[in-house]
Amino acid sequence: MSKYLDLSIKEIHELLVKSKITPLDLVDEALKRIEENKDLNAFITINDKVREEAKDLGEVDPDNIFFGIPIAIKDNIVTKDMRTTCASHILDNFIPIYDATVVNKIKEAKMLIIGKTNMDEFAMGSTSETSYFGSPLNPHDKKRVSGGSSGGSASAVAGSLIPLALGTDTGGSIRQPASYTGIVGMKPTYGRVSRYGLVAFASSLDQIGPMTRNVYENAALLNILVGEDEKDLTSVKKEKEDFTRLIGEDIKGMKIALPKYFISDIVDEEISKRIKEVISYLEKNGAIVDVVDMRYLDTAVNLYQIIAMAEASSNLARFDGIRYGFRASDVDDVDSMYTKTRGEGFGDEVKRRIMIGSYILSGENAKVYYDKALKVRDDITKEFNRIFKDYDLIIGPTTTRVAPMLGITKDDPHKAFMDDVLVIPVNMAGLPGLSVPAGINSKGLPIGLHIIGKAFDEATIYHLASFIEEVL
Amino acid sequence: MSEFTPTIGIEVHVEVKSKSKLFSNSANTYGMATNTAVNVIDLGYPGTLPTINKEVIRQGIRACKVLNCDITRKMHFDRKNYFYPDNPKNYQITQNRTPIGRNGYVEIEVDGIKKKIEIEEMHIEEDTCKSAHRGSVSLLDFNRAGVPLIEIVTKPCISNSKEAMAYLTKLKELLFYANISDCKMEEGSMRCDSNVSISKDDTFGTKTEIKNISSIHNVGLAIEYEIKRQEEMLNNGEIIREETRRFDDKQGKTILMRVKETGNDYRYFIEPDIPYLELTDEFINDSLSTLPLLPDELREKYSKVGLSSLQIEKLINNRPLNGYFLGLLSYKTNYVTAVNLLLSDISSYLNKHNKVVTDTHLSYEKLVSVIEALETGDLSNKNVKDLIDSLMETDKTLDELKKEFNIENITDDTFIKNIIIKVIDNNPDSVNDYKNGHDRALKYLMGQVMKETKGTVNPKLANDMLISLLNK
Repeated sequence: MSKYLDLSIKEIHELLVKSKITPLDLVDEALKRIEENKDLNAFITINDKVREEAKDLGEVDPDNIFFGIPIAIKDNIVTKDMRTTCASHILDNFIPIYDATVVNKIKEAKMLIIGKTNMDEFAMGSTSETSYFGSPLNPHDKKRVSGGSSGGSASAVAGSLIPLALGTDTGGSIRQPASYTGIVGMKPTYGRVSRYGLVAFASSLDQIGPMTRNVYENAALLNILVGEDEKDLTSVKKEKEDFTRLIGEDIKGMKIALPKYFISDIVDEEISKRIKEVISYLEKNGAIVDVVDMRYLDTAVNLYQIIAMAEASSNLARFDGIRYGFRASDVDDVDSMYTKTRGEGFGDEVKRRIMIGSYILSGENAKVYYDKALKVRDDITKEFNRIFKDYDLIIGPTTTRVAPMLGITKDDPHKAFMDDVLVIPVNMAGLPGLSVPAGINSKGLPIGLHIIGKAFDEATIYHLASFIEEVL
Repeated sequence: MSEFTPTIGIEVHVEVKSKSKLFSNSANTYGMATNTAVNVIDLGYPGTLPTINKEVIRQGIRACKVLNCDITRKMHFDRKNYFYPDNPKNYQITQNRTPIGRNGYVEIEVDGIKKKIEIEEMHIEEDTCKSAHRGSVSLLDFNRAGVPLIEIVTKPCISNSKEAMAYLTKLKELLFYANISDCKMEEGSMRCDSNVSISKDDTFGTKTEIKNISSIHNVGLAIEYEIKRQEEMLNNGEIIREETRRFDDKQGKTILMRVKETGNDYRYFIEPDIPYLELTDEFINDSLSTLPLLPDELREKYSKVGLSSLQIEKLINNRPLNGYFLGLLSYKTNYVTAVNLLLSDISSYLNKHNKVVTDTHLSYEKLVSVIEALETGDLSNKNVKDLIDSLMETDKTLDELKKEFNIENITDDTFIKNIIIKVIDNNPDSVNDYKNGHDRALKYLMGQVMKETKGTVNPKLANDMLISLLNK
């Protein structure tokens, strides 16, 4: 069988321009790979019109390297006429009547949406095991999780089913699975990418980002996704820039901070060791890396639990069975329709978070927990800004351990959060963060390096990431 | 007689006039076919986000000015969370912590005594959809969902039903005149809730809330009934519960709807999808620049140009005519005659044809020439009645129309004199009456002169001549 999808996007593009292959060849290859790797459970829905769309794509645009490239979309981003479930029973029959802004951009760039990827239900989880459709598996070891919540996108890219995918990141949900599966995942600055059409989990934290096989393709895909959107008031207007522009340049004089917390004993020894090796390599190449003290990083998980669950409890209130989605049968009145629909429609983790979030916002609790959390969140942002006065980037490991075995975090919801302890502070401060593969451990499982940048300075993150990718 | 002192507070919701809804661009209209002014945002579809209609913020600023409120410069929106089928997101976007206006007042006059009704706060929020119940099913019309509302809350400073009614009348007049709302209680664009408590001392009694009272008159009746009801209860040693009631105007009673649960918990938190708004001086001044003159300002202005208070009130009650008259004030003419014309012949024409004055061809120049001709006697009131259709419907000047209609009032002294002598000779009884001091006789004789000449003589000239001949 053909192996076009193992080529780089640039190489595929050349073949398309020279008419050696067609977009349909790429789509067929992707569909075949998905079919052959069904056990990965990376997809919830396959776009049954994608072959037609490939045929109707028209003339190859020689200036658009994404022309005809298949892409997978996480299933919490709405796609017109294509089922969007959020991996939940409550939306398992939901067919949106509009496209998310990022989906519009992907269609304008003539990419082909191959399907919708598996995830934690409503993006709530760290292993994608809360999916109503079962867990996606880690291609490196199918007894292990691919992380979460964008586990399906990570499996699909890491398993070479597809070269590109979109994920979403509320508390590490792009970077952590990217780390577990050995791919590149970027959470852009909050406001960089429109959230219009992203089914909200925690509105003040959610951000859509690219998940790819390499740094260049990640940066190039981000070029397509960004931009102020009048439909999303939290999106930010910025000069158009090329995120690939610093890729390949040397890193001499680059100032990098390594917070002590990121190499403390919460991190697996093998991972710490590997990160330190990478750092000494960076230093050899002229980067200046300082170990720094950063306050409040250890509060991030608690803040996340308060802020994300409070917002989620409100965001998920609209799923009541009245206008769309699942509605329970045999109800007597409005109240029983609500309780039965939501009781049967949501999974345990979602219900747990809605209950905690509702409690957090109730009466005086709003002041005790929520308002206080917002204050501490400001302090985290200030702390990052303080570091960024003197440093270009902050680095560390993406995760404290490699991908865990399936099932082991299921019975301990709190422990699952600890998978995200290193990535959550970035969401709190609204900063861009990326996970880039930094080698493997003794069992051959991927280790990810986490690079955090200043707000709207994704280009510098890609700069360092491309260097690490190149030398490792 | 009563030893109890009532304390009353009033909450008013008005629908704000604007082209589109508060958080989406679908139309803000009344009376359209069910579910036609609706989009995915109004329906609370997954992934949708609110945008801000700046015109509504401008209307809020105007309302602040009109109701003498301090404007909150930096404000945000909050989510009020509660489940109800007419609430599409199961949260309402409102302003809880930073209402756009605070500390205002409306000045009323009751029985010659002026009083300031203090306004605690005024905030912007979205309306719910409308539900209708048909047997065992409930139907929802989302046209109203997301329509902008301003809620105005008084302090508990109203002492009786008269004050309450005067406040509402004045509030309605102000908001209507400032073009902020239609304030039609019958269409629901103005809704009123009233809180009533009674007490024998300085502490407040337990209050009851009367919801959605259908007219200002009924607000008066409902308050009076409620005060009496509470007095009877307390005199009988009963305890008043905090409860929500409604007013049944057929029975003239307030009726229990529900007992208030303690600590209604709306789990308010800051709406994360809408960034903070900072109102600049420029934006505020710009919003206020289109604020029309308000009734009290008009009253002062009109009495200065000699209008009677009856004329003033009639004019103020007719906003289009009032706007037209305001424009006339920059012309030099007899304003009293002008208002008489506007309120008589012109109004009957407009009512008959269901038009507003600005849709006609009655230019200010034309109106001024008519007034002038009436003053000099070149035109009689009867002439105006004959000409009115042409004056309103064509661009012809008064002179042109007079020619066309053959209105050339006879000014030939001898001709008029002969006619008058003939009339005097034919009506000796009336002449006697006149000489005995009956002024009515003069009018009768003048009528005879006009009849003889078929209204073609200059009436002023003829009148003067008749008097001098009678007095001979």
